[in-house]
Amino acid sequence: MDTAEIEAKVVQFIATKVENLDASTINRSSKFEELGLDSMDTIQLLFDAEDAFGINFDSEEAKGFSTVGDIVSYIETHQSSAASQ
Amino acid sequence: MRVVVTGMGVVSPIGIGVDQFWSAAVNGVSGIKRITSFDASSRRSQIAGEVADFDPSTFLSQKYIEQTDRFTQLALLAARLALEDAGGLDAYESRRIGVSIGSGMGGFSTFESSALRKFRNQPVPPFTVPRTMANSAAAWIAIKHGFKGMNLTSSTACSSGANAIGAALDLLRAGRADVVIAGGAEACVLPLTINGFEILHALTTTSNDNPAGASRPFAKGRDGFVMGEGAGILILEKEEQARSRGAKIYAELAGYGQACDATHIVMPDMEGQIAAMREAIRDAGMEPDSIEYINAHATSTPLGDTVETRAIKNLFGARAADIAISATKSMVGHSIGASAAIGSIATIMALHTGTIHPTINLDEADPECDLDYTPNVAQKRSVRTGLCNAFGFGGNNASILFTTHEGRD
Repeated sequence: MDTAEIEAKVVQFIATKVENLDASTINRSSKFEELGLDSMDTIQLLFDAEDAFGINFDSEEAKGFSTVGDIVSYIETHQSSAASQ
Repeated sequence: MRVVVTGMGVVSPIGIGVDQFWSAAVNGVSGIKRITSFDASSRRSQIAGEVADFDPSTFLSQKYIEQTDRFTQLALLAARLALEDAGGLDAYESRRIGVSIGSGMGGFSTFESSALRKFRNQPVPPFTVPRTMANSAAAWIAIKHGFKGMNLTSSTACSSGANAIGAALDLLRAGRADVVIAGGAEACVLPLTINGFEILHALTTTSNDNPAGASRPFAKGRDGFVMGEGAGILILEKEEQARSRGAKIYAELAGYGQACDATHIVMPDMEGQIAAMREAIRDAGMEPDSIEYINAHATSTPLGDTVETRAIKNLFGARAADIAISATKSMVGHSIGASAAIGSIATIMALHTGTIHPTINLDEADPECDLDYTPNVAQKRSVRTGLCNAFGFGGNNASILFTTHEGRD
């Protein structure tokens, strides 16, 4: 899956977590807080992404995520290593 | 102080909303079909009363669907319908609005699917615990509507819904709330629960090819219950306050009785059933002679229906034959913690409309079951008092007594 596809999928997951959120306003630099995601929403978002992309987030590293771009980059990196294994 | 019912909401295998439910019940419609929520073809019991046309996305956003188990979703819809029926509760201060819900298994669907993932070494969904916990239905009703008063959950197996309604009566009488959203919810048409009840020989296994005829309380040859699901919610208020806000009043919740067998974890006990019914009647300040209708627990198990019949005959004596009785489970199956809440709505509608819904599939009664169970066809009969029975695993027996509002003056 290329970056645009990963980003689109992550945005789609985020849009289901927050009521009345316009998905077109979400971009890579959007912060979870600003989008209205609480800590449980973020955990659920990572879970959705793990299922969809067949990866596992390192929980220590995931604690540092604050933007949409953080998640997308992590998936990009680990998706390829998962595929090459 | 009197407590009255001012709103009702029901989500059942024979209809969503009281109008649809009651019309189907009076017409003896069965909601039992082959199980669709999972592949049950290898099970001995392959049928259930599922709420087939339930779609949570019609009233919940994707976020809430993700965070809630099906039993909570059923409860949320029933609560919404009941609140609409009651005309809203804007007259009340939010800290004085309580919630009291019963569920035998809670979010068991979530538990089962998360456990399956765990055993497959897949990540466990983050909302596993908040979806599974038994009080999640009560909590979500509070969250969705801003009800900040007492928030309780009764988990007493098949009597959960009756205990939750009884607890609501206690809360109102004790002055701990001015209005209580009370009832029960269950969603356990699941591989593990079906298997679990099968292994206890509690489910019928002889009617997979005739689902509509499977649940047959009091009938000769019955061989077990049919799993059901659903939710029933009542809005309970103090009479004075209901009147002052101009609410319509369906019935009075006049009495509640509970008794534990303290004998066996799953076997019914006649003495406990008698004690619960007697206490509900005493609690209402009435005598057994004044009872005119009984919505029986009657699950269609060989032992249970016989014991309940004996309990009724023991308590009411010769008058037992004159009491109109019916078994809602003959049409909707056994929805465990929701069953008494749905049965309560059937009881209230019997008082309210003067119609007793039938016990279907009762062509030939068991010789040991020889009371008037309203076989197959609804009866027009004006009744002023109705007991709703609920007897559960754990030796829990509960009985609640409704009266027509005028019947008590």
